[in-house]
Amino acid sequence: MSQMNQSESSSIGGTIDTCGVTHTGKVRETNEDQFFVASLQKSLNLLHTSLDQVAAFDEVQKSKAYLFVVADGVGSTGGGQIASSMAVQSLITYISRTMGCFYGYDIDSEHEFIEQLEAAVQHAHDKIVTEFSSKGKGPATTLTIATLIWPRVYYIHVGDSRAYYLRNGRLKQITRDQTMGEMMIDQGVMTEEQVTRSSLMNMLASAVGGDLKPAVGLIDLQWGDTLLLCSDGLTRHVSDEELTNILGAADSADSACQLLLNAALEGGGRDNITVVVGRAVEDDR
Amino acid sequence: MIQKKICMVGVFGTGKTSLVQRFVHSMFTDKYHSTVGVKIDRKQVLLDGETVNLVLWDLAGREESEEIPTSYFRGSAGIFYVIDGTRRETFDQIFAIRESVQGTIGVVPSLVALNKKDLVDEWRLGQGDYNALMDADLHAIGTSAKSGEGVENAFLWIANATVNK
Repeated sequence: MSQMNQSESSSIGGTIDTCGVTHTGKVRETNEDQFFVASLQKSLNLLHTSLDQVAAFDEVQKSKAYLFVVADGVGSTGGGQIASSMAVQSLITYISRTMGCFYGYDIDSEHEFIEQLEAAVQHAHDKIVTEFSSKGKGPATTLTIATLIWPRVYYIHVGDSRAYYLRNGRLKQITRDQTMGEMMIDQGVMTEEQVTRSSLMNMLASAVGGDLKPAVGLIDLQWGDTLLLCSDGLTRHVSDEELTNILGAADSADSACQLLLNAALEGGGRDNITVVVGRAVEDDR
Repeated sequence: MIQKKICMVGVFGTGKTSLVQRFVHSMFTDKYHSTVGVKIDRKQVLLDGETVNLVLWDLAGREESEEIPTSYFRGSAGIFYVIDGTRRETFDQIFAIRESVQGTIGVVPSLVALNKKDLVDEWRLGQGDYNALMDADLHAIGTSAKSGEGVENAFLWIANATVNK
């Protein structure tokens, strides 16, 4: 099991309490899931100045982004692990090269920012496809990314890992699973019951390194909300009702991750399990 | 390339997502999925020999308990209002939503899609309603995401209006 947690205060009126955990599960021999949680901040620290007014420096310090990423690799003989790892690493590389788009972020030109995030996913996809192009059908991975620039969360989603948010005790699934099963239901070709009995529910209709069809969108968070990203190793064992209860009861991102992980393991742990949580905790007034 | 952000706005369940699905992916599903936040899609259209990239912001429908965050409207070149012609209240609420839009971004080219036109027997709008839209300077087009009727026409109308404003 690997885990990371962090609670950082900021000048946005509250704290984003974050944690991430991944586990091989009880059945699989390897863990093909990857995750990371990162914060990005404009860094210009005032050491000395002749200025009377230093408000401009406050502005530079204020802007902060959080990046939540979950990837779940698919492929034979360890290929899935390579794909998810490669996707996440190339994402980091691309974002580090294009940090300017974050520094230049402005809500009125946010489409440019969204385009950069989409380009980062395309970059990860191209990297995997190029790497395995000479080896026939290569491995692939799901990829769910949420970028929080308070209060806005921009998400890009490929595959069947999920993003949710909890507000006032109500859990909402932000992403829709991109599986063949969902597609068949949408097109009216099969019923939900038929799909559940088939293997189509787990067959990806969109994947990084496969047939890439990213879904893009955004939501605005409020203080008190909790953001959850996870691989299907969690949701195949833990119902929406349980997710709601656990996220609602947890007093930290760390405990939420642990409780969710335990619930998935108790439910059978048939797949790798990855849970990433971000809690928006308002400062005491 | 010219890029135009268009916001799809209306009460929940009026068919905003279905209209986008029909226009962008030529698909329709009877299964209802409530949109969470904003879903963004793109489609390129050719207008007078020039390619225009439409960035379609499909906003979660307005519900009684939740207003649409007005910051979603910022940067919009046009607004695509959607009414469900079989639910009268979706017509009544469009004027309040428009007020909120105009209070945020001012007057921009706008269109009203009178959606679910295929459900003729359940239609609840009449001439008086169409006149009210005209009086409010809102161009209306009948659409059916299910049959595809009027959908292309509606999106091209708003695209043209944003380019030629």
